Amino acid sequence: MRLLTHNMLSSNIRGVVNGFPLRIEVGKVVEKNVEMNGDFLKNMFVKIDWKAFVEASQSMGYTELPEEADLSMLDSDEFLNRFHHALLELHLEEGALVCPETGRRFPVSKGIPNMLLHEDEV
Amino acid sequence: MSSLCCSSHTSLHHLQKNLYNRNGTITTTPFRSTSSSVKTTGSVSYNRVSAVNTREQEMVLEAGIEENKKKLQLGIAEFYDESSGIWENIWGDHMHHGFYDPDSTVSVSDHRLAQIRMIEKSLTFASLSEEASKWPKSVVDVGCGIGGSSRYLAKKYGASCVGITLSPVQAQRANALAAAQGLADKVSFQVADALEQPFPDNQFDLVWSMESGEHMPDKAKFVGELARVAAPGGTIIIVTWCHRDLRPDEESLQPWEKNLLKKICDSFYLPAWCSTADYVRLLETMSLQDIKSADWSPFVAPFWPAVIRSALTWKGFTSLLRSGLKTIKGALAMPLMIEGFKKGVIKFAIITCRKPEDVEGE
Repeated sequence: MRLLTHNMLSSNIRGVVNGFPLRIEVGKVVEKNVEMNGDFLKNMFVKIDWKAFVEASQSMGYTELPEEADLSMLDSDEFLNRFHHALLELHLEEGALVCPETGRRFPVSKGIPNMLLHEDEV
Repeated sequence: MSSLCCSSHTSLHHLQKNLYNRNGTITTTPFRSTSSSVKTTGSVSYNRVSAVNTREQEMVLEAGIEENKKKLQLGIAEFYDESSGIWENIWGDHMHHGFYDPDSTVSVSDHRLAQIRMIEKSLTFASLSEEASKWPKSVVDVGCGIGGSSRYLAKKYGASCVGITLSPVQAQRANALAAAQGLADKVSFQVADALEQPFPDNQFDLVWSMESGEHMPDKAKFVGELARVAAPGGTIIIVTWCHRDLRPDEESLQPWEKNLLKKICDSFYLPAWCSTADYVRLLETMSLQDIKSADWSPFVAPFWPAVIRSALTWKGFTSLLRSGLKTIKGALAMPLMIEGFKKGVIKFAIITCRKPEDVEGE
């Protein structure tokens, strides 16, 4: 699971008011190189919740992102590289995503989050 | 007047409740006011639950429904865990119908192009723009299979696509194919329930459900989730199997029609069917705009004879034998699909709409 995906996921357990963002419990992080696509990054930048993204990347062990960011920073290659790396190249292979309100763990196995709810959570 | 519903279904007064019944069809259309008379369909009888059932009886019903839902989910996951491999082997990485010229004879080699044509026709029907500046940037593929649509849409639009499936095997395969095609940055797949999508509201420019609606036991909830995760101004595309629309004088399908559908349901892990008109009504209640629907049955009818022919080839036959009982059972239902289409019971429908730009009260 990449951080781009993480930034789109939320806990929809019944009764939870704000299930975003999910906390990351790291089991195993793997880095996979991916070719950079500037247009794609620019499109994604406006959709990303930056604060959640920075927090998530820190929990994955990457601390090179600025706490705040704006569109103008996309002109900097260095920023673009870091953004690209954190967004697309860090994979949570094993671990869990944790609901911020209930603490419920959604397991991540072989890079795939299992977001299925149990009967009593629906 | 106090006869209990059987454990597999419950009151019909509220579309949100399970519209399952023994015969595998929804026997009343949404928002029709419940009559006070007792209706019977075969061995099943039901009445206005709110007037008659006690709280305890309702809890028993609820427990029964939850158990059925769990069974269905597991059945679907296992069916696709088992069948995905053989399907991909013969038909490729798209798991949906192709769009054909009616009356054509189809072979496997035509199929992939036809499946792509189905995607393109659906996008055009939903009036998605060819202008790059108006392309969707984020897509959710609801019931994504092994990710064929997601990868196609990611390539076409340069969009980020997220797919959800109940089958861990499919999610795994989908990710592997994405990586192999250099799309690992743009597409990702999760195990999740389409009725409880793990996304915040208003997320996706394009909400795509290509032949997954048939598996959803609660159509209202399914459509509600599609609407919830769509971004304001976003497009929802549903391509699905429905039963024919009921005539104004009809309460339900004819018994022989219900029988046919039930056999198909059992083979493919499908819950109750609804009609295209039911979908349109649901979308209307959610204040979605530009609702359009069409019957594309003639354009997919050539598909099932082709599937049967492929199953009768040496490769098809041996693959089936190696796959498993669930897949074989599914394969045996293929003539039923042909019968259903021929007799006008089964319709292949497309329903599209847009979420309004101004979303109040979100």
